[in-house]
Amino acid sequence: MSRLKPLVLIAIALAAWELAARSGLWNPLLFPSLASIAEEFVRFVSSIGGLREAWTSLYRALAGFALAAVVGVAIGMLMGRSSFAAGLLDPLFSGTYAVPKLALFPIFIFVFGIGSLSKVALIFLECLYPIVIVTYQGARSVNRVLIWSAQNMGASRARIFRRIVIPATAPFIFAGYRVALPVAMIVVIITEMISSIDGLGYVVIYSLSSLKTDRMLAVVVAIAVLGFLVDRVLVALRDRLVYWDKLDTYFV
Amino acid sequence: MRTLARASLLLALLVLWQLLWLWGLPDYILSPLEILRHFFAALGSAELYEHISASLLRSLPGFAIGTVAGVALGLAAGVARGFDQMLSPVVFLTYPVPKIVMLPLFMLWFGIGDLSKILIIALACFYPMFINAYYGARSTPTILVWSGLNMGAGRWRIFSRVVVPSALPLIFAGMRVSLALSFIVMFATEMINARSGLGHLIQVAENSLRFDLMYVSLLSIAILGYAGDRLLRLGRQRALAWQEHAA
Repeated sequence: MSRLKPLVLIAIALAAWELAARSGLWNPLLFPSLASIAEEFVRFVSSIGGLREAWTSLYRALAGFALAAVVGVAIGMLMGRSSFAAGLLDPLFSGTYAVPKLALFPIFIFVFGIGSLSKVALIFLECLYPIVIVTYQGARSVNRVLIWSAQNMGASRARIFRRIVIPATAPFIFAGYRVALPVAMIVVIITEMISSIDGLGYVVIYSLSSLKTDRMLAVVVAIAVLGFLVDRVLVALRDRLVYWDKLDTYFV
Repeated sequence: MRTLARASLLLALLVLWQLLWLWGLPDYILSPLEILRHFFAALGSAELYEHISASLLRSLPGFAIGTVAGVALGLAAGVARGFDQMLSPVVFLTYPVPKIVMLPLFMLWFGIGDLSKILIIALACFYPMFINAYYGARSTPTILVWSGLNMGAGRWRIFSRVVVPSALPLIFAGMRVSLALSFIVMFATEMINARSGLGHLIQVAENSLRFDLMYVSLLSIAILGYAGDRLLRLGRQRALAWQEHAA
C-alpha cells in the first residue's frame, strides 16, 4: 500500500490538470490536455528529427561531462595528495564557486563560436566544480592505516595509488559525477534555450514561439525522461564499478 | 597576509591576463584594468543600479519563497512518514529535470513579466532546500528525541527545540546552494526573455558588440554572487554559534 502512495499525489495532479484543460475555462493553448501532449510526445520520439535533436543535446551534455569527469578527477586527486596544489587551487575553486558561470556564456560564444563548442565549454566548466571539490575531499580522506599497511608490505607509490587511493576515492568520485551529470543536462538545455539552432532546448523555445504548447510540454517530458535515464545509467555503472559499496537508498 | 597567499593563484592569473593584453588580444577580451575602468564608470551612472535592482527584485523573492517552501515541506517530510512517502519520491524523481524548461510554460500562465521568473527561481531553489531539510530532519540524533520525550516534551516542542536546530547545519548548507542557484536561474531567465536586469544587459551588450557592458554585467553578477555567499556564511556562523566543530 505504501508503494502506491507517491502515485496518489501524481494522480491527483494529473487529474486536476486534465480537468482544467477540458473545462474550457482556459484557452487550449494555455492548458493543453494530456491527450494532446501524449500524442505529441509519441510523435516526437518516433520521428527522426526529434531523435536527432535529443541526440544533439545528449551529445553536448555528455561531451562536456566526460571532459570534466577526466580533468576534474585529475585535479581533485592532485589536490588531495599534494597540500601545495591544494593550497594553490582550493581558494580558486571556493572563491569562484558562487559566481554564476553562465554569465561567461556570451564570451564563450565569441571565443568558440555559435555552435556546440561554446556549450560544451560551459558544461565542462560547470561540471568541473562539483567533481573537483568532491574528489578532493575523497582523496584527502583516504584511511591512512590502509596506506601504512601497504607501505609496510613494500608497495611502491604507484601501486599504492592504483590499488588503494583510487578505489578509496571511487565512491566520492561517483558522488561528484552524480551531482555533475544533472548539471550538465541543465546547462545544455539552458544554453540551447538562450542561443541555439538545434537541440531540445531550442525545440522548447521554438514550439512556444509557434504556440504549439502541446509539443512544448511533450519535449519537456522528453527532457525529464532523458535526465532520469541518464542518471539511472550512471547509478548502474557506479554499482558495477564500486561493487564493494552499493548505494542502499533508491534516491540520491 | 594569509588571504593574500590564498588568492595568489587568482592574482597571478590576473597579472598574466593583463600581460597577455599588452601582447595582443582579440577585440572581445578586455584586460582586467580596462574592465575595472568600465565598471567604475558604470557605477557612476544610474543605469547599472536599475539593472541590478531589477535582477535582485526577481532573485531574492524567488529565493525566499523557494527556501521557505522547501524547508517547511522538507522538515515535514522528514518527520512524518506518510507525508514522506507521498511527496519525497516525486521530489527526488523530478530533481534531475532542469526546472528552467518550465519557464516557457510559466510565461504562458503568469505572463512575461516578473512573476513567471520569480516562480521559476522559487521552483529551482525549492529542491536543494527540500532535500537538505529532509535529510537534516532525519539525521536528528534519536537519543535527543528520547531525552525530550522522557522529560515530557510534547511533539511540537520536540520538533521546534530538537529537530529544527539539528537540521539547521544542513539547511544552511542547502541555502548556500540555493542562493547560488537563484542567481544562476535569474541570470538565465533574463538572458532568455527580459527587458531589464543583468542577464538582459549582457544579451543587449552581446548583440550590439558592446564588450565593455558585457564585462561590467559579468563582474556585477560575480560580485553579487560572491557577496551573497559571504553574507550567508556570516549568517550561518551567527546562527550556528553553538556548534563546537566547524561544519
